[in-house]
Amino acid sequence: MSLFLDVAASTEPGITLDRVQFGYESQPVLDGVNWDLGQGQCAVVTGQNGCGKSTLLYIAAGLLSPQRGAVLLGGHPVHRLLPSERFRRGIRIGFVFQEGGILANMSAMANVSLALHYHADVLGLNEEQIRQRCEEAFDQAQIRSSDWERLPAHMSFGNRKRLALARAMAIRPNFFFFDDPDVGLDQRTATVIHQLLCQLRDDPEVTLVVGTNRAVLMDRLEVPGYRLQNGKLGLRTSGSSLPPTWHRDGPRP
Amino acid sequence: MSEPEPLAVSWLEQVGARGLHLSKVATGLWITLVSAWRSASAPGDGARDVCRAIAMRQIFYTSFQALGLISVVALFIGATLIVQTELLGGALNRETAGRVLVAVVLRELAPLVTAILVAGRSGTAIATELGVMRVNSEVLALASLGIDPPRFLVWPRMVATIVSVPILTVYFSALAVFGGFVAAFVMDSHGLGDWQSGVAMGLTPADIPLFLTKSLGLGGLIGWLCSYYGLDVGVSPTEVPQKASRAVVQTLLACIIFNAVVTVAFYAIFGGNFR
Repeated sequence: MSLFLDVAASTEPGITLDRVQFGYESQPVLDGVNWDLGQGQCAVVTGQNGCGKSTLLYIAAGLLSPQRGAVLLGGHPVHRLLPSERFRRGIRIGFVFQEGGILANMSAMANVSLALHYHADVLGLNEEQIRQRCEEAFDQAQIRSSDWERLPAHMSFGNRKRLALARAMAIRPNFFFFDDPDVGLDQRTATVIHQLLCQLRDDPEVTLVVGTNRAVLMDRLEVPGYRLQNGKLGLRTSGSSLPPTWHRDGPRP
Repeated sequence: MSEPEPLAVSWLEQVGARGLHLSKVATGLWITLVSAWRSASAPGDGARDVCRAIAMRQIFYTSFQALGLISVVALFIGATLIVQTELLGGALNRETAGRVLVAVVLRELAPLVTAILVAGRSGTAIATELGVMRVNSEVLALASLGIDPPRFLVWPRMVATIVSVPILTVYFSALAVFGGFVAAFVMDSHGLGDWQSGVAMGLTPADIPLFLTKSLGLGGLIGWLCSYYGLDVGVSPTEVPQKASRAVVQTLLACIIFNAVVTVAFYAIFGGNFR
């Protein structure tokens, strides 16, 4: 039997997964997942390595199409829309990938400004405003100006992660997805990301989903946690309910 | 512990597996083409500007930066053909040598060899670049930013190869004629007027649609097939060189078959006009 979880106090539609099924060849990953997260709410998804957290986030963001079922973002069936059509309808997705997903042949500035140039007519931005927005995003992600024109290959892992964050922030998304946001980062970078996550959590315009197994992050965010296990999504109350092996040293609130 | 014996596969299963693979490739190619077309016709001035800039960079790389390679190949092919024609036909038959140059080099070799060089140079680059982008989640990242991957990745590359192959074919033809001219002059400086009139008489109005069909079609095939194979890479980096190699081999086969089919079709339709 599939679980139907609804903790959405918000009346605005946020993320809705309706009997979603997905698998890779013969390996099922999601088995009839139902999920409803209201606009402006925040949730953490946990689960063992390889259980399909990243896949769930990709599907919820409309980056992968479910094999069965439907995915709605803000009431729109996202997997039937072109990414640009989705953007035009006001569904702006920020996605920070586990490995960054940074465009390797573009400088940091070009990575951040790309979507702004691509959607300049939709956002009504001119060149000066695009530059300004990029600088704001770099400041938020605490990336020094000396790194702005660097290629990602010449940046550290932590800086690339912050660059991914800056790129996502620049479009001012209303749906934000983080896939293992602080794995492999030093304390300073992890703290930057945790602080930004807390700001996003408190922003009523942003629906935030974080895929992580870090109890410290889950406790810091203090939001509903869901556990993905055997293709089903179940409700978990707090980070302390994670298995002891999942607790790792990290920045404390 | 001994290895388990591989399961015996009947010829019928092999045929079935091959058929399934071919239908998967055909479907993927169709989806690549349709999605590129659909996204390219989607509204968005900003998107149009960004993609136009990418297409211009691709055209520069595919055509301008390939001029040196094309020059060497064209000069030597033109010269070699004239040397062989002169040796077979005799130095007196200059007009025939000029006509052979038109028939063999300008109509057949120029578009095909240009396409082979573009596929080997730019086709590999397209398939490898897109494959690496797939592995690094860059394609998903583009989609997350509201950027249509077919429009941003496939369309500019197809436009670049469609624009570049005709330009390079004209350039190849001009240099092949020049190479042939130099070879003919070096072998025997008499009768160059006959040779030039042979080249001029060999060209007919029917060569224009033939040239356009071949060069535009071959250019489109290169961009299309190499983009498909690049985006067909899964999650493993080891797939990138495999797909790049397959992209070039399949593209070369497709180009050779396409060139032959167009030649036969044009000679069937315009037969007398080519003499």
